[in-house]
Amino acid sequence: MKKILYGTMYSFKEIKNLKIFYSFLMFALILISGSYFVSQTSFISQGRIMVDFSIFAISIFNIFIGIFIGASVVYDDIEKKSVFLTITRPIKRTEYLAGRFLGLAAAIIFSTIIMMLIFYFVLLIMHKFIVPAGYFAGNVKAKAGIVSHIKNKRVKSAPAEKNSGKNITGKLSIVKPAAKPFTFYSLPQPLIIQALFIIIESIFISAAALLFSLITSKALASIFAILVFFIGSVSSRMNDLVKPVKKIINGKVVIMHQANHALMSIVHFIYTVLPNFSIFNISSEAAYKVNVSAGIIFYRIVYGICYTALLFIISSLIFARKDIS
Amino acid sequence: MIDIMNATKYFRVGFFGTKKTAVENLSLNIEEGKVTGFFGPNGAGKSTTIKMVVGLINPSGGNIKIKGYPASDCRSRLKLGYLPENPSFPRGLKGIEIINYYSKLLDKKINKDEIYDALKLAGIFYAKNIHAHKYSKGMTQRLALAVSILGDPEILIFDEPLSGLDPVGRKEFKDIIFKLKKRKKTIFFSSHVLADSKELCDRIAVLVNGRLIKSEDLEDIEKEAASYAEEKKDNLLTGEYSTPLEVYLYDLMLKSRKN
Ligand SMILES: Nc1ncnc2c1ncn2[C@@H]1O[C@H](COP(=O)(O)OP(=O)(O)OP(=O)(O)O)[C@@H](O)[C@H]1O
Ligand SMILES: [Mg+2]
Repeated sequence: MKKILYGTMYSFKEIKNLKIFYSFLMFALILISGSYFVSQTSFISQGRIMVDFSIFAISIFNIFIGIFIGASVVYDDIEKKSVFLTITRPIKRTEYLAGRFLGLAAAIIFSTIIMMLIFYFVLLIMHKFIVPAGYFAGNVKAKAGIVSHIKNKRVKSAPAEKNSGKNITGKLSIVKPAAKPFTFYSLPQPLIIQALFIIIESIFISAAALLFSLITSKALASIFAILVFFIGSVSSRMNDLVKPVKKIINGKVVIMHQANHALMSIVHFIYTVLPNFSIFNISSEAAYKVNVSAGIIFYRIVYGICYTALLFIISSLIFARKDIS
Repeated sequence: MIDIMNATKYFRVGFFGTKKTAVENLSLNIEEGKVTGFFGPNGAGKSTTIKMVVGLINPSGGNIKIKGYPASDCRSRLKLGYLPENPSFPRGLKGIEIINYYSKLLDKKINKDEIYDALKLAGIFYAKNIHAHKYSKGMTQRLALAVSILGDPEILIFDEPLSGLDPVGRKEFKDIIFKLKKRKKTIFFSSHVLADSKELCDRIAVLVNGRLIKSEDLEDIEKEAASYAEEKKDNLLTGEYSTPLEVYLYDLMLKSRKN
Protein backbone atom coordinates (compact mmCIF):
# COMPACT_ATOMS: atom_id res chain seq x y z
CA MET A 1 0.00 0.00 0.00
CA LYS A 2 2.75 2.39 0.96
CA LYS A 3 4.49 1.70 -2.31
CA ILE A 4 1.35 2.61 -4.24
CA LEU A 5 1.19 5.89 -2.36
CA TYR A 6 4.79 6.75 -3.18
CA GLY A 7 4.19 5.73 -6.77
CA THR A 8 1.19 8.02 -6.87
CA MET A 9 3.14 10.95 -5.54
CA TYR A 10 5.99 10.32 -7.95
CA SER A 11 3.81 10.03 -10.99
CA PHE A 12 1.80 13.09 -9.95
CA LYS A 13 5.02 15.08 -9.72
CA GLU A 14 6.06 13.76 -13.08
CA ILE A 15 2.76 14.61 -14.76
CA LYS A 16 2.78 18.07 -13.24
CA ASN A 17 6.03 18.68 -15.09
CA LEU A 18 4.68 17.55 -18.44
CA LYS A 19 4.35 20.21 -21.09
CA ILE A 20 1.08 18.80 -22.34
CA PHE A 21 -0.46 19.09 -18.89
CA TYR A 22 0.57 22.70 -18.57
CA SER A 23 -0.64 23.64 -21.98
CA PHE A 24 -4.06 22.07 -21.46
CA LEU A 25 -4.34 23.78 -18.13
CA MET A 26 -3.35 27.15 -19.56
CA PHE A 27 -5.70 26.74 -22.49
CA ALA A 28 -8.63 25.99 -20.24
CA LEU A 29 -7.84 28.95 -18.01
CA ILE A 30 -7.71 31.25 -21.01
CA LEU A 31 -11.05 29.95 -22.23
CA ILE A 32 -12.65 30.35 -18.83
CA SER A 33 -11.49 33.92 -18.59
CA GLY A 34 -12.59 34.46 -22.15
CA SER A 35 -16.05 33.23 -21.36
CA TYR A 36 -16.69 36.74 -20.13
CA PHE A 37 -16.33 38.10 -23.64
CA VAL A 38 -18.46 35.37 -25.09
CA SER A 39 -21.16 36.21 -22.62
CA GLN A 40 -21.10 39.81 -23.76
CA THR A 41 -22.56 38.82 -27.09
CA SER A 42 -25.85 38.12 -25.38
CA PHE A 43 -28.23 40.53 -23.72
CA ILE A 44 -29.91 38.11 -21.40
CA SER A 45 -28.60 35.54 -18.98
CA GLN A 46 -24.95 36.21 -19.51
CA GLY A 47 -24.21 34.17 -16.45
CA ARG A 48 -25.78 31.12 -17.98
CA ILE A 49 -23.72 31.44 -21.13
CA MET A 50 -20.57 31.86 -19.13
CA VAL A 51 -21.37 28.74 -17.14
CA ASP A 52 -22.16 26.72 -20.23
CA PHE A 53 -19.03 27.83 -21.98
CA SER A 54 -16.72 27.39 -19.04
CA ILE A 55 -18.07 24.01 -18.04
CA PHE A 56 -17.58 22.89 -21.59
CA ALA A 57 -13.97 24.13 -21.54
CA ILE A 58 -13.25 22.54 -18.19
CA SER A 59 -14.70 19.19 -19.12
CA ILE A 60 -13.17 18.97 -22.55
CA PHE A 61 -9.70 19.86 -21.34
CA ASN A 62 -9.85 17.48 -18.44
CA ILE A 63 -10.96 14.76 -20.79
CA PHE A 64 -8.06 15.63 -23.06
CA ILE A 65 -5.71 15.42 -20.12
CA GLY A 66 -7.23 12.08 -19.20
CA ILE A 67 -6.93 10.68 -22.69
CA PHE A 68 -3.54 11.95 -23.73
CA ILE A 69 -1.75 11.53 -20.45
CA GLY A 70 -3.60 8.29 -19.77
CA ALA A 71 -2.32 6.93 -23.06
CA SER A 72 1.24 7.98 -22.28
CA VAL A 73 1.64 7.60 -18.55
CA VAL A 74 2.69 3.97 -18.77
CA TYR A 75 3.47 3.82 -22.46
CA ASP A 76 6.15 6.50 -22.29
CA ASP A 77 7.57 4.96 -19.17
CA ILE A 78 8.08 1.72 -21.07
CA GLU A 79 9.26 3.48 -24.20
CA LYS A 80 11.82 5.56 -22.36
CA LYS A 81 12.82 2.54 -20.32
CA SER A 82 12.45 4.37 -17.03
CA VAL A 83 10.06 1.61 -16.02
CA PHE A 84 12.94 -0.87 -15.92
CA LEU A 85 14.33 0.46 -12.69
CA THR A 86 10.92 0.61 -11.06
CA ILE A 87 9.47 -2.81 -11.65
CA THR A 88 12.72 -4.59 -10.98
CA ARG A 89 12.41 -3.46 -7.39
CA PRO A 90 10.50 -5.73 -5.03
CA ILE A 91 7.20 -4.33 -6.16
CA LYS A 92 4.26 -6.01 -7.87
CA ARG A 93 3.40 -4.81 -11.32
CA THR A 94 -0.12 -4.06 -10.20
CA GLU A 95 1.23 -1.80 -7.48
CA TYR A 96 3.27 0.07 -10.04
CA LEU A 97 0.29 0.40 -12.35
CA ALA A 98 -1.94 1.56 -9.51
CA GLY A 99 0.63 4.19 -8.57
CA ARG A 100 0.81 5.53 -12.09
CA PHE A 101 -2.94 5.56 -12.51
CA LEU A 102 -3.67 7.19 -9.17
CA GLY A 103 -1.02 9.80 -9.92
CA LEU A 104 -2.86 10.62 -13.10
CA ALA A 105 -6.14 10.72 -11.19
CA ALA A 106 -4.55 13.13 -8.73
CA ALA A 107 -3.40 15.30 -11.62
CA ILE A 108 -6.92 15.36 -13.03
CA ILE A 109 -8.37 16.30 -9.66
CA PHE A 110 -5.71 18.97 -9.28
CA SER A 111 -6.38 20.50 -12.68
CA THR A 112 -10.15 20.43 -12.21
CA ILE A 113 -9.85 22.16 -8.87
CA ILE A 114 -7.60 24.84 -10.32
CA MET A 115 -9.93 25.41 -13.24
CA MET A 116 -12.95 25.54 -10.98
CA LEU A 117 -11.21 28.01 -8.71
CA ILE A 118 -10.41 30.29 -11.62
CA PHE A 119 -13.97 29.92 -12.84
CA TYR A 120 -15.19 30.74 -9.38
CA PHE A 121 -13.09 33.87 -9.24
CA VAL A 122 -14.28 34.99 -12.64
CA LEU A 123 -17.88 34.57 -11.48
CA LEU A 124 -17.06 36.31 -8.25
CA ILE A 125 -15.63 39.30 -10.05
CA MET A 126 -18.56 39.38 -12.41
CA HIS A 127 -20.86 38.86 -9.48
CA LYS A 128 -22.91 36.40 -11.43
CA PHE A 129 -24.23 33.01 -10.68
CA ILE A 130 -22.77 32.68 -7.23
CA VAL A 131 -24.80 32.09 -4.15
CA PRO A 132 -24.04 33.39 -0.71
CA ALA A 133 -22.82 30.62 1.50
CA GLY A 134 -23.21 30.45 5.23
CA TYR A 135 -26.95 30.53 4.78
CA PHE A 136 -27.44 28.31 7.77
CA ALA A 137 -24.86 30.15 9.74
CA GLY A 138 -25.47 32.48 12.62
CA ASN A 139 -25.83 36.03 11.52
CA VAL A 140 -28.37 35.64 8.80
CA LYS A 141 -29.72 39.04 9.53
CA ALA A 142 -26.67 40.84 8.37
CA LYS A 143 -26.64 38.94 5.14
CA ALA A 144 -30.33 38.84 4.52
CA GLY A 145 -30.24 42.19 2.83
CA ILE A 146 -27.59 41.15 0.40
CA VAL A 147 -29.26 37.87 -0.31
CA SER A 148 -32.54 39.46 -1.18
CA HIS A 149 -30.71 42.03 -3.22
CA ILE A 150 -29.07 39.39 -5.29
CA LYS A 151 -32.28 37.48 -5.56
CA ASN A 152 -34.04 40.48 -6.90
CA LYS A 153 -31.33 41.09 -9.36
CA ARG A 154 -31.49 37.58 -10.58
CA VAL A 155 -35.23 37.43 -10.76
CA LYS A 156 -35.06 40.42 -12.96
CA SER A 157 -32.56 38.95 -15.35
CA ALA A 158 -33.78 35.39 -15.40
CA PRO A 159 -37.19 34.70 -14.03
CA ALA A 160 -36.73 30.96 -14.26
CA GLU A 161 -34.25 30.84 -11.46
CA LYS A 162 -36.47 31.25 -8.49
CA ASN A 163 -35.12 29.14 -5.75
CA SER A 164 -31.51 29.80 -6.50
CA GLY A 165 -30.77 31.17 -3.10
CA LYS A 166 -31.27 27.78 -1.55
CA ASN A 167 -28.42 26.09 -3.33
CA ILE A 168 -25.98 25.91 -0.55
CA THR A 169 -23.07 23.58 -0.51
CA GLY A 170 -21.60 22.17 2.59
CA LYS A 171 -18.10 22.22 1.22
CA LEU A 172 -17.43 25.86 0.86
CA SER A 173 -19.61 27.14 3.61
CA ILE A 174 -17.26 26.27 6.44
CA VAL A 175 -16.69 29.87 7.19
CA LYS A 176 -16.90 31.24 10.66
CA PRO A 177 -20.07 33.29 10.56
CA ALA A 178 -19.22 35.72 13.28
CA ALA A 179 -17.23 38.86 12.64
CA LYS A 180 -17.06 38.55 8.89
CA PRO A 181 -17.23 41.89 7.23
CA PHE A 182 -18.04 40.40 3.83
CA THR A 183 -20.40 37.74 2.58
CA PHE A 184 -18.95 34.48 1.46
CA TYR A 185 -20.18 33.33 -1.89
CA SER A 186 -20.02 29.85 -3.25
CA LEU A 187 -20.88 28.12 -6.47
CA PRO A 188 -24.35 26.64 -6.71
CA GLN A 189 -24.69 22.96 -5.93
CA PRO A 190 -25.13 21.62 -9.50
CA LEU A 191 -21.92 23.34 -10.57
CA ILE A 192 -19.95 21.65 -7.84
CA ILE A 193 -21.54 18.32 -8.69
CA GLN A 194 -20.68 18.96 -12.31
CA ALA A 195 -17.05 19.46 -11.32
CA LEU A 196 -17.14 16.18 -9.44
CA PHE A 197 -18.65 14.46 -12.45
CA ILE A 198 -15.98 15.93 -14.70
CA ILE A 199 -13.33 14.47 -12.44
CA ILE A 200 -14.95 11.05 -12.49
CA GLU A 201 -15.55 11.13 -16.21
CA SER A 202 -11.97 12.14 -16.97
CA ILE A 203 -10.51 9.48 -14.72
CA PHE A 204 -12.85 6.99 -16.33
CA ILE A 205 -11.76 7.82 -19.87
CA SER A 206 -8.11 7.89 -18.79
CA ALA A 207 -8.49 4.31 -17.54
CA ALA A 208 -9.73 3.37 -20.99
CA ALA A 209 -6.81 5.19 -22.63
CA LEU A 210 -4.39 3.44 -20.29
CA LEU A 211 -5.87 0.06 -21.16
CA PHE A 212 -5.60 0.77 -24.89
CA SER A 213 -2.05 2.03 -24.55
CA LEU A 214 -1.03 -1.35 -23.14
CA ILE A 215 -2.13 -3.18 -26.25
CA THR A 216 -1.52 -0.68 -29.03
CA SER A 217 0.59 2.37 -29.65
CA LYS A 218 0.14 5.69 -27.95
CA ALA A 219 -1.47 7.43 -30.91
CA LEU A 220 -3.89 4.60 -31.57
CA ALA A 221 -4.76 4.40 -27.91
CA SER A 222 -5.63 8.10 -27.85
CA ILE A 223 -7.75 7.75 -30.96
CA PHE A 224 -9.58 4.74 -29.55
CA ALA A 225 -10.20 6.51 -26.29
CA ILE A 226 -11.57 9.55 -28.11
CA LEU A 227 -13.82 7.27 -30.15
CA VAL A 228 -15.04 5.48 -27.05
CA PHE A 229 -15.74 8.80 -25.43
CA PHE A 230 -17.56 10.15 -28.44
CA ILE A 231 -19.68 7.07 -28.95
CA GLY A 232 -20.26 6.83 -25.21
CA SER A 233 -21.55 10.39 -25.19
CA VAL A 234 -24.03 9.90 -27.97
CA SER A 235 -24.96 6.26 -27.48
CA SER A 236 -27.97 7.02 -25.34
CA ARG A 237 -29.29 9.41 -27.93
CA MET A 238 -28.64 6.90 -30.68
CA ASN A 239 -30.53 4.34 -28.68
CA ASP A 240 -33.46 6.69 -28.56
CA LEU A 241 -33.25 7.19 -32.30
CA VAL A 242 -33.67 3.56 -33.19
CA LYS A 243 -36.47 2.99 -30.74
CA PRO A 244 -39.67 2.15 -32.53
CA VAL A 245 -41.98 5.10 -32.87
CA LYS A 246 -45.24 4.31 -31.15
CA LYS A 247 -48.55 6.02 -31.15
CA ILE A 248 -51.70 5.33 -29.27
CA ILE A 249 -54.64 5.16 -31.58
CA ASN A 250 -58.01 4.24 -30.17
CA GLY A 251 -56.43 2.99 -26.97
CA LYS A 252 -54.07 0.60 -28.79
CA VAL A 253 -50.36 0.97 -29.14
CA VAL A 254 -49.49 1.05 -32.77
CA ILE A 255 -45.93 0.96 -33.99
CA MET A 256 -45.63 3.62 -36.61
CA HIS A 257 -42.10 3.10 -37.66
CA GLN A 258 -39.44 0.60 -36.79
CA ALA A 259 -35.75 0.84 -37.62
CA ASN A 260 -33.86 -1.91 -39.37
CA HIS A 261 -33.51 -4.83 -36.99
CA ALA A 262 -29.78 -5.34 -37.50
CA LEU A 263 -29.10 -1.66 -36.99
CA MET A 264 -31.18 -1.71 -33.86
CA SER A 265 -29.28 -4.58 -32.34
CA ILE A 266 -25.93 -2.99 -33.20
CA VAL A 267 -26.91 0.25 -31.53
CA HIS A 268 -28.30 -1.66 -28.59
CA PHE A 269 -25.08 -3.60 -28.26
CA ILE A 270 -22.99 -0.43 -28.36
CA TYR A 271 -25.28 1.15 -25.84
CA THR A 272 -24.96 -1.69 -23.38
CA VAL A 273 -21.26 -2.43 -23.80
CA LEU A 274 -19.76 1.01 -24.11
CA PRO A 275 -19.82 3.28 -21.10
CA ASN A 276 -22.45 5.97 -21.04
CA PHE A 277 -20.75 9.30 -20.68
CA SER A 278 -23.78 11.49 -21.17
CA ILE A 279 -24.88 10.89 -17.58
CA PHE A 280 -21.90 12.91 -16.40
CA ASN A 281 -22.99 15.93 -18.34
CA ILE A 282 -25.36 18.00 -16.23
CA SER A 283 -24.60 21.34 -17.80
CA SER A 284 -28.28 22.18 -18.27
CA GLU A 285 -28.92 21.60 -14.59
CA ALA A 286 -25.88 23.71 -13.86
CA ALA A 287 -26.94 26.50 -16.15
CA TYR A 288 -30.39 26.65 -14.60
CA LYS A 289 -29.22 25.97 -11.08
CA VAL A 290 -31.46 22.98 -10.62
CA ASN A 291 -30.27 20.97 -7.70
CA VAL A 292 -29.22 17.42 -8.44
CA SER A 293 -30.66 14.85 -6.10
CA ALA A 294 -28.39 12.79 -3.90
CA GLY A 295 -29.62 9.54 -5.39
CA ILE A 296 -28.61 10.51 -8.88
CA ILE A 297 -25.24 11.74 -7.69
CA PHE A 298 -24.60 8.54 -5.80
CA TYR A 299 -25.70 6.26 -8.60
CA ARG A 300 -23.60 8.02 -11.22
CA ILE A 301 -20.51 8.15 -9.06
CA VAL A 302 -20.79 4.46 -8.28
CA TYR A 303 -21.31 3.71 -11.96
CA GLY A 304 -18.18 5.66 -12.90
CA ILE A 305 -16.04 4.17 -10.18
CA CYS A 306 -17.11 0.60 -10.85
CA TYR A 307 -16.48 0.91 -14.55
CA THR A 308 -13.10 2.52 -13.92
CA ALA A 309 -12.15 -0.23 -11.51
CA LEU A 310 -13.14 -2.85 -14.06
CA LEU A 311 -10.97 -1.19 -16.71
CA PHE A 312 -8.10 -0.98 -14.27
CA ILE A 313 -8.37 -4.67 -13.38
CA ILE A 314 -8.27 -5.63 -17.04
CA SER A 315 -5.25 -3.34 -17.53
CA SER A 316 -3.39 -4.87 -14.65
CA LEU A 317 -4.09 -8.40 -15.89
CA ILE A 318 -2.67 -7.43 -19.27
CA PHE A 319 0.26 -5.60 -17.76
CA ALA A 320 1.16 -8.48 -15.46
CA ARG A 321 2.06 -10.73 -18.34
CA LYS A 322 3.38 -8.13 -20.73
CA ASP A 323 6.96 -8.40 -21.92
CA ILE A 324 8.68 -5.16 -21.18
CA SER A 325 11.65 -4.64 -23.43
CA MET B 1 22.11 -18.03 -6.28
CA ILE B 2 20.59 -17.58 -9.70
CA ASP B 3 19.58 -20.70 -11.57
CA ILE B 4 18.67 -20.38 -15.20
CA MET B 5 17.30 -23.69 -16.44
CA ASN B 6 16.69 -24.28 -20.14
CA ALA B 7 15.48 -20.75 -20.61
CA THR B 8 14.15 -20.04 -24.08
CA LYS B 9 12.74 -16.83 -25.41
CA TYR B 10 11.31 -16.09 -28.77
CA PHE B 11 9.68 -12.88 -29.84
CA ARG B 12 6.80 -12.57 -32.22
CA VAL B 13 7.79 -10.09 -34.87
CA GLY B 14 6.08 -8.53 -37.81
CA PHE B 15 2.48 -8.49 -38.84
CA PHE B 16 2.08 -12.25 -38.97
CA GLY B 17 3.84 -12.85 -35.66
CA THR B 18 6.60 -15.03 -36.96
CA LYS B 19 8.79 -16.47 -34.26
CA LYS B 20 12.23 -15.06 -33.76
CA THR B 21 14.40 -16.84 -31.29
CA ALA B 22 16.49 -14.58 -29.09
CA VAL B 23 17.68 -17.07 -26.46
CA GLU B 24 17.63 -20.81 -26.88
CA ASN B 25 17.80 -23.43 -24.20
CA LEU B 26 20.15 -21.54 -21.96
CA SER B 27 21.22 -23.08 -18.67
CA LEU B 28 23.50 -21.12 -16.42
CA ASN B 29 24.19 -21.09 -12.76
CA ILE B 30 25.43 -17.88 -11.22
CA GLU B 31 27.27 -18.60 -8.05
CA GLU B 32 27.15 -16.66 -4.87
CA GLY B 33 29.89 -14.16 -4.18
CA LYS B 34 31.40 -14.37 -7.64
CA VAL B 35 31.60 -12.01 -10.54
CA THR B 36 30.27 -13.56 -13.71
CA GLY B 37 30.95 -11.86 -17.00
CA PHE B 38 28.49 -12.40 -19.78
CA PHE B 39 29.93 -11.85 -23.21
CA GLY B 40 28.67 -11.97 -26.71
CA PRO B 41 28.39 -9.94 -29.89
CA ASN B 42 25.57 -7.51 -30.60
CA GLY B 43 22.21 -9.18 -30.74
CA ALA B 44 23.42 -12.34 -29.03
CA GLY B 45 20.64 -12.20 -26.49
CA LYS B 46 22.51 -10.93 -23.45
CA SER B 47 20.03 -8.23 -22.58
CA THR B 48 17.15 -10.60 -23.21
CA THR B 49 18.63 -13.11 -20.77
CA ILE B 50 19.19 -10.44 -18.16
CA LYS B 51 15.66 -9.13 -18.57
CA MET B 52 14.34 -12.62 -18.04
CA VAL B 53 16.37 -12.88 -14.86
CA VAL B 54 15.06 -9.61 -13.45
CA GLY B 55 11.50 -10.46 -14.42
CA LEU B 56 10.90 -7.91 -17.17
CA ILE B 57 10.36 -10.60 -19.78
CA ASN B 58 8.60 -13.89 -19.25
CA PRO B 59 10.58 -16.79 -20.69
CA SER B 60 8.80 -18.76 -23.41
CA GLY B 61 10.20 -21.96 -21.97
CA GLY B 62 12.28 -23.19 -19.07
CA ASN B 63 12.46 -21.43 -15.74
CA ILE B 64 14.61 -19.08 -13.76
CA LYS B 65 14.99 -19.03 -10.02
CA ILE B 66 16.65 -16.48 -7.79
CA LYS B 67 17.29 -17.70 -4.26
CA GLY B 68 14.52 -20.24 -4.75
CA TYR B 69 11.89 -17.79 -5.97
CA PRO B 70 10.80 -17.75 -9.59
CA ALA B 71 11.83 -14.59 -11.41
CA SER B 72 8.22 -13.53 -11.95
CA ASP B 73 7.70 -13.34 -8.20
CA CYS B 74 8.59 -9.94 -6.82
CA ARG B 75 10.11 -11.54 -3.71
CA SER B 76 12.95 -12.79 -5.90
CA ARG B 77 14.01 -9.16 -6.23
CA LEU B 78 14.16 -8.36 -2.54
CA LYS B 79 17.94 -8.22 -2.60
CA LEU B 80 18.62 -7.51 -6.21
CA GLY B 81 19.93 -4.42 -7.92
CA TYR B 82 19.63 -4.02 -11.66
CA LEU B 83 21.32 -1.53 -13.93
CA PRO B 84 19.62 -1.53 -17.34
CA GLU B 85 21.45 -0.73 -20.54
CA ASN B 86 20.86 2.90 -21.51
CA PRO B 87 18.90 3.80 -18.38
CA SER B 88 16.72 6.89 -18.37
CA PHE B 89 14.60 8.88 -15.98
CA PRO B 90 11.46 10.98 -16.28
CA ARG B 91 11.76 14.64 -17.11
CA GLY B 92 11.57 17.41 -14.62
CA LEU B 93 12.72 15.60 -11.50
CA LYS B 94 15.93 16.14 -9.63
CA GLY B 95 18.41 13.35 -9.07
CA ILE B 96 17.78 13.34 -5.36
CA GLU B 97 14.00 13.17 -5.84
CA ILE B 98 14.38 10.21 -8.14
CA ILE B 99 16.63 8.25 -5.82
CA ASN B 100 14.38 9.10 -2.88
CA TYR B 101 11.47 7.59 -4.71
CA TYR B 102 13.35 4.40 -5.54
CA SER B 103 14.47 4.08 -1.95
CA LYS B 104 10.82 4.01 -0.92
CA LEU B 105 10.12 1.03 -3.14
CA LEU B 106 12.48 -1.23 -1.21
CA ASP B 107 11.14 -3.35 1.57
CA LYS B 108 13.48 -1.99 4.18
CA LYS B 109 13.87 1.51 5.38
CA ILE B 110 16.64 3.50 3.75
CA ASN B 111 17.84 6.59 5.56
CA LYS B 112 19.37 9.68 4.10
CA ASP B 113 22.94 8.65 4.83
CA GLU B 114 22.52 5.44 2.88
CA ILE B 115 21.18 7.37 -0.08
CA TYR B 116 24.11 9.77 0.11
CA ASP B 117 26.53 6.87 0.37
CA ALA B 118 25.09 5.27 -2.73
CA LEU B 119 25.29 8.58 -4.59
CA LYS B 120 28.85 9.09 -3.47
CA LEU B 121 29.91 5.59 -4.40
CA ALA B 122 28.44 6.06 -7.85
CA GLY B 123 30.12 9.46 -8.10
CA ILE B 124 27.01 11.53 -8.80
CA PHE B 125 26.61 13.15 -5.40
CA TYR B 126 27.71 16.54 -6.70
CA ALA B 127 24.84 16.64 -9.19
CA LYS B 128 22.06 15.49 -6.93
CA ASN B 129 20.16 18.76 -7.19
CA ILE B 130 20.23 18.95 -10.96
CA HIS B 131 17.28 17.79 -13.03
CA ALA B 132 17.93 14.31 -14.30
CA HIS B 133 17.01 15.07 -17.89
CA LYS B 134 19.88 17.51 -17.99
CA TYR B 135 22.36 14.78 -17.10
CA SER B 136 24.88 13.51 -19.62
CA LYS B 137 24.80 9.83 -20.50
CA GLY B 138 27.56 9.02 -18.06
CA MET B 139 25.81 10.91 -15.28
CA THR B 140 22.53 9.12 -15.99
CA GLN B 141 24.39 5.82 -15.90
CA ARG B 142 25.83 6.78 -12.55
CA LEU B 143 22.47 7.75 -11.10
CA ALA B 144 21.04 4.44 -12.28
CA LEU B 145 23.98 2.68 -10.65
CA ALA B 146 23.30 4.54 -7.42
CA VAL B 147 19.67 3.44 -7.61
CA SER B 148 20.65 -0.16 -8.22
CA ILE B 149 23.06 -0.35 -5.29
CA LEU B 150 20.61 1.25 -2.87
CA GLY B 151 19.84 -0.84 0.16
CA ASP B 152 23.01 -2.87 -0.22
CA PRO B 153 21.60 -5.74 -2.33
CA GLU B 154 23.39 -9.09 -2.45
CA ILE B 155 22.91 -9.64 -6.13
CA LEU B 156 23.87 -7.03 -8.69
CA ILE B 157 22.99 -7.35 -12.33
CA PHE B 158 24.55 -4.86 -14.69
CA ASP B 159 23.67 -4.72 -18.36
CA GLU B 160 26.62 -3.22 -20.19
CA PRO B 161 27.74 -1.03 -17.33
CA LEU B 162 30.69 0.31 -19.25
CA SER B 163 29.11 1.21 -22.54
CA GLY B 164 29.07 4.84 -23.47
CA LEU B 165 31.51 5.92 -20.82
CA ASP B 166 34.74 7.80 -21.39
CA PRO B 167 38.05 6.15 -20.38
CA VAL B 168 38.01 7.83 -16.99
CA GLY B 169 34.44 6.79 -16.41
CA ARG B 170 35.19 3.22 -17.42
CA LYS B 171 38.04 3.09 -14.99
CA GLU B 172 35.85 4.46 -12.21
CA PHE B 173 33.04 2.08 -12.96
CA LYS B 174 35.44 -0.81 -12.91
CA ASP B 175 36.75 0.38 -9.57
CA ILE B 176 33.21 0.44 -8.24
CA ILE B 177 32.65 -3.11 -9.42
CA PHE B 178 35.90 -4.09 -7.76
CA LYS B 179 34.74 -2.50 -4.54
CA LEU B 180 31.47 -4.37 -4.71
CA LYS B 181 33.35 -7.55 -5.49
CA LYS B 182 35.39 -7.11 -2.35
CA ARG B 183 32.17 -6.85 -0.38
CA LYS B 184 31.37 -10.37 -1.60
CA LYS B 185 28.45 -9.42 -3.77
CA THR B 186 27.17 -11.70 -6.47
CA ILE B 187 27.66 -9.77 -9.66
CA PHE B 188 26.44 -10.66 -13.11
CA PHE B 189 27.32 -8.21 -15.84
CA SER B 190 27.18 -8.24 -19.58
CA SER B 191 29.56 -6.68 -22.02
CA HIS B 192 30.83 -7.10 -25.53
CA VAL B 193 34.22 -5.69 -24.74
CA LEU B 194 36.44 -8.67 -24.14
CA ALA B 195 39.09 -6.60 -22.47
CA ASP B 196 36.82 -6.08 -19.50
CA SER B 197 36.71 -9.74 -18.82
CA LYS B 198 40.01 -10.51 -17.33
CA GLU B 199 40.29 -7.92 -14.62
CA LEU B 200 36.81 -8.26 -13.21
CA CYS B 201 35.53 -11.74 -13.67
CA ASP B 202 35.75 -14.95 -11.71
CA ARG B 203 33.68 -16.73 -14.28
CA ILE B 204 33.00 -16.16 -17.92
CA ALA B 205 29.96 -17.07 -19.95
CA VAL B 206 29.87 -16.56 -23.69
CA LEU B 207 26.67 -16.28 -25.65
CA VAL B 208 26.42 -16.28 -29.42
CA ASN B 209 23.18 -16.26 -31.39
CA GLY B 210 21.17 -17.04 -28.31
CA ARG B 211 23.21 -20.12 -27.41
CA LEU B 212 25.61 -20.44 -24.54
CA ILE B 213 28.90 -21.67 -25.94
CA LYS B 214 31.09 -21.36 -22.88
CA SER B 215 30.62 -21.05 -19.17
CA GLU B 216 33.78 -21.60 -17.18
CA ASP B 217 36.05 -20.25 -14.51
CA LEU B 218 38.49 -17.62 -15.68
CA GLU B 219 41.53 -19.83 -14.98
CA ASP B 220 40.20 -22.75 -16.99
CA ILE B 221 39.35 -20.58 -19.90
CA GLU B 222 42.74 -18.93 -19.78
CA LYS B 223 44.42 -22.34 -19.91
CA GLU B 224 42.36 -23.23 -22.94
CA ALA B 225 43.30 -19.95 -24.51
CA ALA B 226 46.99 -20.56 -23.89
CA SER B 227 46.92 -23.95 -25.53
CA TYR B 228 44.91 -22.55 -28.39
CA ALA B 229 47.49 -19.84 -28.84
CA GLU B 230 50.28 -22.40 -29.08
CA GLU B 231 48.36 -24.26 -31.76
CA LYS B 232 48.03 -21.32 -34.10
CA LYS B 233 51.11 -19.29 -33.41
CA ASP B 234 51.35 -17.51 -36.71
CA ASN B 235 48.36 -15.22 -36.98
CA LEU B 236 48.00 -14.44 -33.32
CA LEU B 237 47.63 -10.90 -32.04
CA THR B 238 45.80 -9.65 -35.07
CA GLY B 239 44.15 -6.28 -35.09
CA GLU B 240 42.43 -5.26 -31.93
CA TYR B 241 43.11 -8.21 -29.76
CA SER B 242 46.30 -8.42 -27.86
CA THR B 243 45.95 -11.23 -25.33
CA PRO B 244 45.51 -14.95 -25.98
CA LEU B 245 42.23 -14.93 -24.07
CA GLU B 246 40.72 -12.27 -26.28
CA VAL B 247 41.82 -13.96 -29.45
CA TYR B 248 40.48 -17.28 -28.21
CA LEU B 249 37.07 -15.86 -27.33
CA TYR B 250 36.91 -13.89 -30.54
CA ASP B 251 37.68 -16.95 -32.63
CA LEU B 252 35.12 -18.93 -30.64
CA MET B 253 32.44 -16.38 -31.39
CA LEU B 254 33.35 -16.28 -35.06
CA LYS B 255 33.17 -20.04 -35.32
CA SER B 256 29.81 -20.40 -33.63
CA ARG B 257 28.40 -17.62 -35.67
CA LYS B 258 29.21 -19.47 -38.89
CA ASN B 259 27.50 -22.62 -37.69
N1 LIG C 1 11.16 -6.73 -28.00
C1 LIG C 1 11.74 -7.43 -28.96
N2 LIG C 1 11.03 -7.81 -30.03
C2 LIG C 1 11.58 -8.52 -31.01
N3 LIG C 1 12.86 -8.91 -31.02
C3 LIG C 1 13.64 -8.59 -29.99
C4 LIG C 1 13.12 -7.83 -28.90
N4 LIG C 1 14.12 -7.64 -28.00
C5 LIG C 1 15.19 -8.25 -28.52
N5 LIG C 1 14.93 -8.83 -29.70
C6 LIG C 1 15.85 -9.60 -30.54
O1 LIG C 1 16.51 -10.52 -29.72
C7 LIG C 1 17.87 -10.62 -30.08
C8 LIG C 1 18.75 -10.41 -28.86
O2 LIG C 1 18.67 -9.07 -28.43
P1 LIG C 1 19.45 -8.53 -27.16
O3 LIG C 1 19.01 -7.16 -26.91
O4 LIG C 1 19.25 -9.50 -26.07
O5 LIG C 1 20.95 -8.55 -27.66
P2 LIG C 1 22.24 -8.14 -26.85
O6 LIG C 1 23.06 -9.35 -26.71
O7 LIG C 1 21.88 -7.44 -25.61
O8 LIG C 1 22.93 -7.15 -27.86
P3 LIG C 1 23.73 -5.80 -27.56
O9 LIG C 1 25.12 -6.19 -27.30
O10 LIG C 1 23.61 -5.06 -28.84
O11 LIG C 1 23.09 -5.12 -26.43
C9 LIG C 1 18.11 -9.59 -31.15
O12 LIG C 1 18.20 -10.27 -32.38
C10 LIG C 1 16.90 -8.72 -31.13
O13 LIG C 1 16.55 -8.35 -32.43
MG1 LIG D 1 22.12 -5.56 -24.83
